[in-house]
Amino acid sequence: MIAMCNRCGFCQVACPTFRATGHEAGVARGRVALLRALREGRLAWSTDLEEPLFACLLCGACTTNCFPAVPTADLIVEAREEYLEKVGRKRIHGLLFEHLLPYPERLRRVARAVAFGKNSGLSGVARALGLLRIFGRDFPRSEKIVGRMPGYALRERFPPGVLEGGGERLRIGYFVGCGMEIMNPVAAEASLGILREAAMEVHILENACCGLPAWSYGDREAARKLAAGNIEILSALPFDRIVTDCSSCAAFLKKYPDLFEPADPLREKANEVAARVRDMVEQVVSAPPPRSKEAGRIIVTYHDPCHASRGQDLVAEPRKILAALPGVEYRELPEADWCCGGAGSYALSHFDTAMKILERKIDNVEKTGAGVLATSCPACIVQLAYGVRRRNLPIRVCHLSELIRERSAPTG
Amino acid sequence: MDPRFIRRVRKIVGKEHVRCGPTDLEVYSYDGSLARGRPGAVAFPADTQETAALVRAASEAGVACVPRGFGTNLSGGSIPPDDGLVICLTRLNRILSIRPDRRCARVQTGVTNLELQNALAPLGFFYAPDPASQKVATLGGNVGENSGGPRCVKHGVTKNHVLGMEVVLPDGEAVRVGGEALDPPGYDLCGILVGSEGTLGIVTEVTVRILPLAESVVTLLAVYDRVADAARSVSGIIAEGIVPASLEMMDAPVMRAVEESCPCGYPLDAAAVLIIEVDGPAVGLKEQAERIRRICASEGCRQVREAGDTEERDRLWAGRRGAFGAIARLAPGYLVADCTVPRTKLPEALERVRLIAQGHQLAHGNVFHAGDGNLHPLLFFDSRDPDQLDRVRRAGREIMKECVELGGTITGEHGVGIEKLEAMRLIFSEEDLDAQRAVRQAFDPEGRFNPGKAVPGVARERPVVTSPPRASADDTAWMPETVEEACAIVTRAFRDGTALLPEGGGHWRTFGNIMERGLPILRSAGLASIVEYDPPNQTIRVQAGIPLADLQEALRPNRQWLPIRPFPGARGAILVGSMVALGACGPERMRYGAPRDLLLGLRFVSGTGRLVSTGGKVVKNVAGYDLGRLLAGSAGTLGFLTELTLRLSSLPECCRAVRGWGLLAEVASAAAELLRSNIEPTFVTASPLNGTTSGKGKQTDLEHWRILVGLEGFGETVEAQAERCAGLLADKGLEAEATEDYPVLDGPFSDHDRSMDRSPFLLRADLPLDKVACFVEEAASAIHPEHIFADFGCGRVRGGLTRLTEDAWDGLCGCIGRLDGHLLLEKAPDAFKKRRDVYGPFQPAWKVIHRIKDAMDPKGIFSPGRLPGRK
Ligand SMILES: Cc1cc2nc3c(=O)[nH]c(=O)nc-3n(C[C@H](O)[C@H](O)[C@H](O)COP(=O)(O)OP(=O)(O)OC[C@H]3O[C@@H](n4cnc5c(N)ncnc54)[C@H](O)[C@@H]3O)c2cc1C
Ligand code: SF4
Ligand code: SF4
Repeated sequence: MIAMCNRCGFCQVACPTFRATGHEAGVARGRVALLRALREGRLAWSTDLEEPLFACLLCGACTTNCFPAVPTADLIVEAREEYLEKVGRKRIHGLLFEHLLPYPERLRRVARAVAFGKNSGLSGVARALGLLRIFGRDFPRSEKIVGRMPGYALRERFPPGVLEGGGERLRIGYFVGCGMEIMNPVAAEASLGILREAAMEVHILENACCGLPAWSYGDREAARKLAAGNIEILSALPFDRIVTDCSSCAAFLKKYPDLFEPADPLREKANEVAARVRDMVEQVVSAPPPRSKEAGRIIVTYHDPCHASRGQDLVAEPRKILAALPGVEYRELPEADWCCGGAGSYALSHFDTAMKILERKIDNVEKTGAGVLATSCPACIVQLAYGVRRRNLPIRVCHLSELIRERSAPTG
Repeated sequence: MDPRFIRRVRKIVGKEHVRCGPTDLEVYSYDGSLARGRPGAVAFPADTQETAALVRAASEAGVACVPRGFGTNLSGGSIPPDDGLVICLTRLNRILSIRPDRRCARVQTGVTNLELQNALAPLGFFYAPDPASQKVATLGGNVGENSGGPRCVKHGVTKNHVLGMEVVLPDGEAVRVGGEALDPPGYDLCGILVGSEGTLGIVTEVTVRILPLAESVVTLLAVYDRVADAARSVSGIIAEGIVPASLEMMDAPVMRAVEESCPCGYPLDAAAVLIIEVDGPAVGLKEQAERIRRICASEGCRQVREAGDTEERDRLWAGRRGAFGAIARLAPGYLVADCTVPRTKLPEALERVRLIAQGHQLAHGNVFHAGDGNLHPLLFFDSRDPDQLDRVRRAGREIMKECVELGGTITGEHGVGIEKLEAMRLIFSEEDLDAQRAVRQAFDPEGRFNPGKAVPGVARERPVVTSPPRASADDTAWMPETVEEACAIVTRAFRDGTALLPEGGGHWRTFGNIMERGLPILRSAGLASIVEYDPPNQTIRVQAGIPLADLQEALRPNRQWLPIRPFPGARGAILVGSMVALGACGPERMRYGAPRDLLLGLRFVSGTGRLVSTGGKVVKNVAGYDLGRLLAGSAGTLGFLTELTLRLSSLPECCRAVRGWGLLAEVASAAAELLRSNIEPTFVTASPLNGTTSGKGKQTDLEHWRILVGLEGFGETVEAQAERCAGLLADKGLEAEATEDYPVLDGPFSDHDRSMDRSPFLLRADLPLDKVACFVEEAASAIHPEHIFADFGCGRVRGGLTRLTEDAWDGLCGCIGRLDGHLLLEKAPDAFKKRRDVYGPFQPAWKVIHRIKDAMDPKGIFSPGRLPGRK
């Protein structure tokens, strides 16, 4: 795949890190050239590679603009794995991926601690996780963000188990993403409401982190372990659908089969699970909630999370949903599918670049004149909300589910 | 790399804008080509000053430099010299100004082509060059390579649209050349810098021409069962007098690849398709499309489909733009060749390409700019396999050779770079190359800018510059009848160090700062034959001494012409060579371009008596420096022109002038509105209503003016345009006058307009388009012109004056400076010339002009003293 790159440079137009830094090492062509130089022995594995490898957002925008469709994001993840092996990993990541993420209960505890600012020692762990974005980015610098952190996690209010729904037949498993659970329990609650309208039963699952952060970091072993655990939980019950309102989780759950060798028995199971996974967006399109009669007029725009647009090809669907909501004037966001810079550990380890990317995004949001900016990934929400706050803009950043719930007429 | 140098570079641009780690150097080792090199450091300057400082530092440290945009060129142009400094201009990414009223935009060179287009579109304007790589190609790169694109068949390439620039020269000095006003004094420096692949200067800012978007567009897809039929239709369409906005061709392998990767509606069972687009005023467009249909059908086309709506049109274009890409999915590597052949040779060229590819067992496909004859055969291979790489390189060389044999050139738009360096010798002799090397030496005597690119080898001899030449005692006049004779005369003059004054009709003998002082004259009138006329290709090769009228006469039977008319101020026989040498033309330039835009190739006797060729006979050509641009407008100071290859047009069916009169301000406002509209006039001019006959005898009434708008082309279109135009004039409060057809070759201008050169002073002012009336008011009224003529479409005012004091001239110079324009006295008495430079006060760019003069005419034998600064 590396050899497929013909150095045409077309990825430059799409790559957010390149647009922010203007440096060739920050674009797919350059990253792929480095991988090629490594293969061909012109370059040795060293810490020099950390920046070009780990600054990639894995957003996939390059591949969309690449004639031969060089899968840079996948190549980078592979390379990160090799980097960790050959150059070394940070101990703190092991701590995170092996001792925190697999245990939702521990994660919630950490979150609570951080929320109340009690245990600053944890912030180091959180930061290294790349999960600090979940707790509010740039923790040490912005007490305000922490102050606004919800004081509870979703499953503290809605413990794992079965909730009755108003629909017929359909049994839905609700996969709780870390970001939704900790940073956005209100939106998660809205999602639950929507699901209960449509289903006979909604199961709140006792799942752990989907594994995406570990996978992105190049720790594929840790990602596989997390996936294996979740696959057990998800295949235990015969759900018709497994729905999650985090587009990143949804995209990664759909990718589970790729994590395992064809011979691995888990692959078959992963296939079965993946076939039933639905992004909340897909769920709503297939079963639109009833429209509420009265709704104030608002102007809404929408940001495509990378994991929805390129990850799952969900581009038309969210727009369709928004345009159909009562009282909503939908306006298209320029460069809507450009990564917001919040991907993974990004905003933390590459603060300046991430902020430049965010500035561009927020400029575009302002151009639309929208009062509401909706999206479907909790990491994006945190990042975008931060961008809006930095400029004191009167714009509400929220999850699609919240808007849908507010503008539908609950039957029960 | 020397750490002291790095430290200095850091100091200039700031630490974070210098990179020199191993990974950094790796990612700046390549561009879009197959070549590579390893730089010593990469610097990202923020502006012109930092760029200049970097160049100075490099020059002092003896480090080679290469400017780089986004590194997408396909010839190795931005491959760094080993251990050299890459100067990456991506931080210069601001659009500085967009002036629809001046049809100009000023842009830093790190801005991409598409970013500029996107900024222009909402204003109803566009920038014509549109390389397929436009979203990732910087304007600096476009300038470096003289890029073209599908739209260039109608509008020309980058060179035809760059008016001015700020450029950092190899010695670290930043100078402005050109600007919003046309024809800056002396040589066309922009013309030589565009396409110089970063070897002559680093351009940090460009001023480009922008044009109003066409009113309407029709897109056709013509489907063929035989490639040759499609290729023949191409010249058929052009020969019919249709100037399509784009005329692209795609063959079966490429269509299959496109359809596989994304279905765009191309027929899979066809051998080839043409995508033909015509644009312009809505009326008459359907009829043009109908003509195209007929031509295609007569060449054996199976079907012509018209895109029903924008969506279908976009789909067709998406397929065309994505073609390279679709191909890229088939093989892990491909080489794009970039040869141009005369359009009529397309069928043969395609066949030869097929045989070459077959001979080397390489799969190939074709997708290219057929209207320009610019082929892009794509050869597929696996770059990891050295044997395949070798075969593909050999095939590439053979293709170039065959195309040259067919009368074409080695590169149409991608540049020479490293990859085609040796192939330059296929089309140029050592003498030709020496002339190009001389230009390089004039700019970069140390050879530190992008060494090893663009022109192979270094100058073989460096003649010592001597000056000034001796004027011979007698006023001899030579009129050679053969080129050999001309060479012998110049060689003798070179040996003896005596001056020569090349001339055509003799009318412009004292052009520039030259005075009447009996210099030996070298006439071109003895070289007056037509060498080769190729009607279907619309090109002609003529000797320099042929009169314009004779040339037009010879073209007329084929309903063709050289779209230049006897211009205001011209008198007597105009010889084609001197017209080109002076860059002289009339207001129809707005539509058809200046002589240099129509000049495809040139032969001249150089300052050392050698016969030098440049360019060729194809319409798109970026092989080597464009010496033609330098010679066109050089007014006989760089060489004696012997032979020119010119691009012709079909005669317009109809030429109609719309007139109206009113106050100067009303006329100016109507002109401005016309320039913003999509009416597409051929010229917009005005002159005072009452000529020279006002009460005080020889004084012109400068209050009341008559506007004259020319519309040329197909009958239906002209008629509709004339109507719109008349309406527009009325809206602006002008009194309507009769609309009138005028003769194609002579044009509509009155004898009065043309006779202004009887005045002892002939003044020319070039201005930004919106400043014409301003100049007339501020300046012209102070000097009481006897005649005056305003060309709004080109931003030019010409005046014939009975007297001009030095004080008045100095005042004019000040005034024109404030208006961002420049002046030239095309004619002035010796007494005046003794005290003032006819080009006005000194400008820094003149130093470059003088260096070029020294390098190309080391003994200064040609027209000594004529240039700005009296060189
Ligand atoms: C898929 C593909 C399609 C293409 N299609 C076309 C096409 O249709 N038409 C076409 O003409 N080209 C085409 N190209 C070639 C290429 O995109 C153009 O040559 C483009 O203009 C290069 O721009 P760049 O910014 O990448 O310049 P670079 O590659 O960085 O530089 C090009 C040259 O210009 C010089 N240069 C760069 N900046 C400056 C400056 N500021 N001042 C002076 N010199 C400078 C460099 O030294 C180098 O010699 C295509 C390329 C690709 C990969
Ligand atoms: S995945 Fe995104 S950040 Fe990474 S190279 Fe591609 S476009 Fe750039
Ligand atoms: S777009 Fe694809 S092929 Fe082109 S440089 Fe980028 S990664 Fe390589």
